[in-house]
Amino acid sequence: MDLDLDVILPRVQKPARYTGGEWNAIRKDPASVRARVALCYPDSYEVGMSHLGLQVLYHVLNSHPDFAAERCFAPWPDMEQELRSRNLPLFSLESRTPLREFDAIGITLPYELTYTNVLNMLDLAGVPVRAADRGPGDPLIVGGGPGAVNPEPLAAFFDGILIGEGEDAILEIAEAAALRDRRAALDSLAQIEGMYVPSLYRHAPAGPGPLGVVTPLNGAPVHIPRRFVADLDAALFPTHQIVPFIETVHSRVTLEIMRGCTRGCRFCQAHAAYAPRRQRSIETILRQAEEAVAATGYDEISLLAFTSVDYHDIEGLVSALVERFGERGIGVALPSLRVDAFSVTLANKIQEVRKSGLTFAPEAGTQRLRDVIRKQVTEDDLFAAADAAFSSGWHRIKLYFMIGLPTETDEDVEAIGDLVNRLVAFGRGALGTRRGRLQIGVSVAAFVPKPHTPFQWMAQDEMEVIAHKQRIIQRALRDRAIKLSWTDPKVSALEASISRGDRRIGDAIEAAWRMGSTFDAWNERFDFERWQRAFQEAGVAIHDYANTPLGFDAPLAWDHVDCGNEKDALRREAERALSGEAI
Amino acid sequence: MAQIICQYRKGDDARWISHLDVKRTLERAMRRAQLPLALTEGHNPHPKLSFGPPLSVGITGSAEMFAIHLESTLAPDAVKERLNAQLPPGLQILEAWVLPGYRKKETFGEIDVAEYEVMFGGIGADEVEARIADLLAREQLMVQRGGDRPERSIDVRPFILTVSVMGSTDGEVSLRMRLRTGSHGGARPQEIVELLGLHEGDGLVRCHRTGLYASQQETPRPAAQTRRRWSQTRGRRS
Repeated sequence: MDLDLDVILPRVQKPARYTGGEWNAIRKDPASVRARVALCYPDSYEVGMSHLGLQVLYHVLNSHPDFAAERCFAPWPDMEQELRSRNLPLFSLESRTPLREFDAIGITLPYELTYTNVLNMLDLAGVPVRAADRGPGDPLIVGGGPGAVNPEPLAAFFDGILIGEGEDAILEIAEAAALRDRRAALDSLAQIEGMYVPSLYRHAPAGPGPLGVVTPLNGAPVHIPRRFVADLDAALFPTHQIVPFIETVHSRVTLEIMRGCTRGCRFCQAHAAYAPRRQRSIETILRQAEEAVAATGYDEISLLAFTSVDYHDIEGLVSALVERFGERGIGVALPSLRVDAFSVTLANKIQEVRKSGLTFAPEAGTQRLRDVIRKQVTEDDLFAAADAAFSSGWHRIKLYFMIGLPTETDEDVEAIGDLVNRLVAFGRGALGTRRGRLQIGVSVAAFVPKPHTPFQWMAQDEMEVIAHKQRIIQRALRDRAIKLSWTDPKVSALEASISRGDRRIGDAIEAAWRMGSTFDAWNERFDFERWQRAFQEAGVAIHDYANTPLGFDAPLAWDHVDCGNEKDALRREAERALSGEAI
Repeated sequence: MAQIICQYRKGDDARWISHLDVKRTLERAMRRAQLPLALTEGHNPHPKLSFGPPLSVGITGSAEMFAIHLESTLAPDAVKERLNAQLPPGLQILEAWVLPGYRKKETFGEIDVAEYEVMFGGIGADEVEARIADLLAREQLMVQRGGDRPERSIDVRPFILTVSVMGSTDGEVSLRMRLRTGSHGGARPQEIVELLGLHEGDGLVRCHRTGLYASQQETPRPAAQTRRRWSQTRGRRS
């Protein structure tokens, strides 16, 4: 293997993606442990190494004397080609062990458009992609992560999918793998709280789209409750984070200060996937910050939370961090801001060390529509935030909007243009002599209905409607200070159909992968026509999953997953939305 | 304020990382080692760090060099020890010494000769000797350079100082070559490897940079000797 690698590595881009050996990487003697787990991320090294969840699981497993965890990322197509042409198996970074030889392979499910990479990694590892085709010698294939809240599109490919948080469950999964007996391990997996073992359920479609029932066989639980850690403050947090050699998406210390979100925006899955809201104490965070800075040598600390501003004493925390680390040349970053002046005041505190752009997400252009989606932000909030930002020296603001939201009309879309144009005029006034430097980034995405949200029943706009709405915005936003960017509506349509997918969508994913789709989240790799052919081959239509409203009373493909939101409560919330009630 | 020169090794485990990656890795190691680094002024303060000629991805080296500025005095051996405790496999400080006070700044820019050892298999030593003789007999050796930019043709013949077979064992041949490097132009070891067709053997060619020299200073002097000369004449300033 090593000899072959020496020949391959000069031929691929960024060879250090495949060589490991980074600071804080852990290499254990395989003879000293009862189970070896390969933790995989179905995207490039640079993306995967910026994902905190993977580092958490890596350190939980490696902190246990009986288990060893190693890493593997999706090889870039050039590397895939080298591996395939030489019949070399996919291998781990730490010890270059073929993935097949691990007792379990754990795969993160970060986003729908990475799913072809999941299949590709299994195939490159020499593991049958369908669970039903695996035998006694094959490792246990377990998935988990945000995508697990609707496990059905990937049900055929996994031996188990963990619904919810993995910090505690990963040790139980490793125990199951340590049995080193596929049958016994599967039985043991089924006993783990939050674990969905797809082979113990039968899926019966009841119409086109995600309508149908998943029924348990042999006494498997009817509902799988989402697993979560009760005490975040006491949960293991990796301060000895692996420091990549090469530049990754985020090269900095990441501290998770809070998990869960209580904002309750009706389109957003965060509440379903991460509730309840839990916080770490300031003492714990400061201690972890010290440890992590000392262990990594990074010069930036980033605070991770859905809305860090909602942390109970965010001002106190930021002040303490800036005071402690500022003079050592270590910056503090706050990636998730609310749309209000308080957020800007807070950002102001940290800009003494480093200045970055400010991003706000009003999501919709009218108060009526913001009430429908329950985005509790007013125009006054936005202008107060902008005012605070401009008067504190910022001249660049980025705004996120969604189009195709339920009940949206052309007037709502026109209002986005109007709002942005008024903000530009306001910005020029506020900046005075610096007006030439004003920059407003406007990023527009299409609404994607997500399972376990009040909007799970709603339809995504047809692509032609999205295109029409994009034209409205494009016509309105002509000022040179505005930089407009879109999410490709084709990507959104695919995301919606996989997001609300059932097991038949799994067939389409497999077909797309067999036709050559991988790295679909990368624009240059995304091929919508190929996906359409794959859907056709699997006998399903994107339209049925993405663009069709679902009945409130219909059984849904993800009803067996219990995220803590009663379906009735979601329905009431949806009805309130449709009648325009904000609360 | 003291300036310390470090000579380091970039070994097998680190040979696939770029020069920029090495720089970042060293900066982080220095922060972990809590060296009293002098930072640049300005909005985005960073350590004052300068490097000798970068090493290409895939090539190892044991005469690599960088210089750092310290805010307070620290013995060079302590710098070396503390840094080595924080460096990942494949990177190691071999020697550290203080730059004498009379030179304000190390001028790695004076380095204009690099020496490499190249090891490969699948081609006999005699055959290689013949190819070298043929190569050196030519007046012009054009190679294509480009990368992202438009390709251009360059004659590297004037940049080849010496190429010779060092020996061969178990079918593996080793070469030594001295090439010009630096701002006045130079040849890359991979270019000579390709001109000699060495990669056509069994495909595995290992390249190691063994020395960096400043030919205009005193006739070629290895970096390590520089240190000895300085420490003899000025004593270790610690």
